[in-house]
Amino acid sequence: MNLTLETKNMNEKTIKIDSKYFSKCDSVCQTESEPVIVSENFNFYYGSRAGVKNINMNISQCCVTAIIGPSGCGKSTFLRSINRMNDLIPGTRTEGKLTIYGQDIYHKNINFVNLRQHIGMVFQKPNPFPKSIFDNVAYGPRLQGIRKKSQLEAIVEKSLKSAALWEEVKDDLKKSALALSGGQQQRLCIARALATQPQVILMDEPCSALDPIATGKIEDLIAQLQNSYTIVLVTHNMQQAARVSYRTAFFCLGELIEYDLTSKIFSNPSNKQTEDYITGRFG
Amino acid sequence: MRVELRCCLDKFFTALTWLIIFAIIIVLLLILGPILSKGTSAVLFTDTVEFRKMQVALFSRGNEKQLFAEKNQTAAARQKVYDAIDNFKNGIDTKALTEKVRNLYRRCGQELRAKNLSNQQYTEIRAILKDIRDRLEIAFASNDKNKILENIGYVIQYRQDERFNGTSAHEFFTIAENFSKSVENTDLAKLSEYTKELQEVENLLTQLFGPRPGLPSAATAINQFGATRLDLAQSLLDKILWKEQWVTKENQKSLVKTRTSRSQGFAGTQIEPIFEYLKNDLDKMMLPKFKFYWQYFIDDSTPGHYFGGIGPEILGTLLLTLLSMVFVIPLGVISAAYLTEFSSDNLIIKIIRICINSLAGVPSIIFGLFGLAFFVLFLLPAFGFASKPCILTASMTLSILTLPVMIRSSEEAIKAVPATYKEASLALGAGKFKTFILVTLPAALPGILTGVILSLSRVAGETAPILFTGAVALGPVPRSIFDSTRTLSYGSYDMAVGDRLAMMVPHNQYGMVASLILLVLCLNAMAIILRTKLFKRLHGH
Repeated sequence: MNLTLETKNMNEKTIKIDSKYFSKCDSVCQTESEPVIVSENFNFYYGSRAGVKNINMNISQCCVTAIIGPSGCGKSTFLRSINRMNDLIPGTRTEGKLTIYGQDIYHKNINFVNLRQHIGMVFQKPNPFPKSIFDNVAYGPRLQGIRKKSQLEAIVEKSLKSAALWEEVKDDLKKSALALSGGQQQRLCIARALATQPQVILMDEPCSALDPIATGKIEDLIAQLQNSYTIVLVTHNMQQAARVSYRTAFFCLGELIEYDLTSKIFSNPSNKQTEDYITGRFG
Repeated sequence: MRVELRCCLDKFFTALTWLIIFAIIIVLLLILGPILSKGTSAVLFTDTVEFRKMQVALFSRGNEKQLFAEKNQTAAARQKVYDAIDNFKNGIDTKALTEKVRNLYRRCGQELRAKNLSNQQYTEIRAILKDIRDRLEIAFASNDKNKILENIGYVIQYRQDERFNGTSAHEFFTIAENFSKSVENTDLAKLSEYTKELQEVENLLTQLFGPRPGLPSAATAINQFGATRLDLAQSLLDKILWKEQWVTKENQKSLVKTRTSRSQGFAGTQIEPIFEYLKNDLDKMMLPKFKFYWQYFIDDSTPGHYFGGIGPEILGTLLLTLLSMVFVIPLGVISAAYLTEFSSDNLIIKIIRICINSLAGVPSIIFGLFGLAFFVLFLLPAFGFASKPCILTASMTLSILTLPVMIRSSEEAIKAVPATYKEASLALGAGKFKTFILVTLPAALPGILTGVILSLSRVAGETAPILFTGAVALGPVPRSIFDSTRTLSYGSYDMAVGDRLAMMVPHNQYGMVASLILLVLCLNAMAIILRTKLFKRLHGH
């Protein structure tokens, strides 16, 4: 499989990403695999104010990477930089390099619409479209040009099953997505993100608007998904980071303070700031 | 204590709110109630045989056999009135009688010549005939009862004269006898007054019963039929029974309206009993029946809306409204989408916004004049069409009129769509345009429909913009959008501004206004139902 990030201008060179990065995931994400997302001296500015500064970080394939840190530390900014959602905000700019599968996503020839189809995103608040459950999940595939009903049905079923929602909604796919509960809506959003068959899933505090039971379900889901997807998870909940992630990054004031295996961060952090934060003595 | 006070205030404000709501409802009922109830009388009323005649003649609708029987029945009842009037007229209409006698004299002369008489006989009889004629003329011209009777008596003496056999001379005696009979019962001093009054009564009777049978049919449809509705018939009857006059009373400078009974005016004459007869037996002459005239909403009308319905008006209003929606919805939504989603907030956009807002405050007649100047006089010829007001130009003008409303409400609706929807769509790889079409627009649709409802109501009721751009008061049913049309709003206006015929059919004015209100309500109800359904589909509850 080739990840093709088509250029806007067809005359320009089409940038292809080497298929070696799509080697089969290790069933258990315990071994270090090839880095998927590589950030080198990445800076992001809102006008003149820096959102994140000098981020150097390698995110490995098939692995949950959690990003923790106090509010306003640039976690979400960094996450949104990965699929260029920050482009929507006027007056922003970047410095440094951010690559996915070796491809600089801030290259001028990148078609970020295409890019986003390969990087799924789940938001803080469940945000299903005011459409039927089926139409929600089929939204991405339809954008990719899939029109055949049987094909769409297969994708919807597969995605809903992957998001552990199939059993609950299989009988009323025509129902409005907004009629679902908060936890179901969030899982629907995950299914919707999965339907475009992304390689990377970005999760921006996916459980902050949910109750503990729904949170548990989402966490179980993340544990299942990590076998096939590279997941980057931003969370305020340190227990959650400890529970589901393999590696954890600690951001503070726009800088990456520490990035290591989760077990090490939570048991033996090398940085004083990290220790203060995870033990609740921060600030 | 404080809690109690708060409870008290709370109740007070609740009561106040309810009071205001009730007040609004009552005011609405006070305004709409009479219009609707009077408008209903255009559809639900008691008709007369004249209505059924009109329906058969103008709309080929109804049972002709039954109508024929009804016609005969009423004609028989009406004949009594006509006969009484004719008899009386023979006595008083001296001018006509004089003319008649002269003609008769001429005819008799011709008949005599044809009889092959000797010269002497001819001269003799001719002289007698001339004498009869002159005597009758003297009698007709006189105001003195004795003189009249004397002259008539002189004429009558020739009645049995055999010399007149074979001529029309016997008609002289019939006229003379009839005249003497009327004169015996009539106050001759009042003769001219009688003639005048009788003319009035006859005119009113023509309005009530239609033209007299036997007379040539009237040219206009309005005069071909009598009172088609019982209420109209009764008001005409009232006019026949009572004479309205403006008179000066003693010590009063201004004129006072008085009602005098006509039967008193004709007291002692042959006419007197017909008033009582009309009053008591109107039903026999008109055969009133309760009628649900639902065809009112589809029938064409005679000029001036005297007979018939408001079908073309409803059709025209619907066409104009829907066609202007066809223009204004895409235009409004696209403009709103550009202003909210695809433009940056620079000076030009700010100026555009100011322009749109001020456009909403421009008087509608200005739009009418603009439509005339731009659409009718410039745009149509520019595209090779005839430069005349038509449905197309009228609906274009209306759509410009309501464009600001549409843009503003669409803008609000689009702004109200949560940003998270757009984010989700963009994160799934949709472009800005696709996001708008696939996510923002469907989510904003209920709000956009609110704008549609607002513009719909405005468009349906507007008169000034279509005054010069496509509405007519009289005209055929439109066949294409390049024809001008009648509309409910313009029709109501036209009937309200001093149409003589319209004054006689107030139920039609009310009917038209009530239909306009109901039409707008129906269109709105449809839009509201659509909005509710959309909202339910979007939100699942």
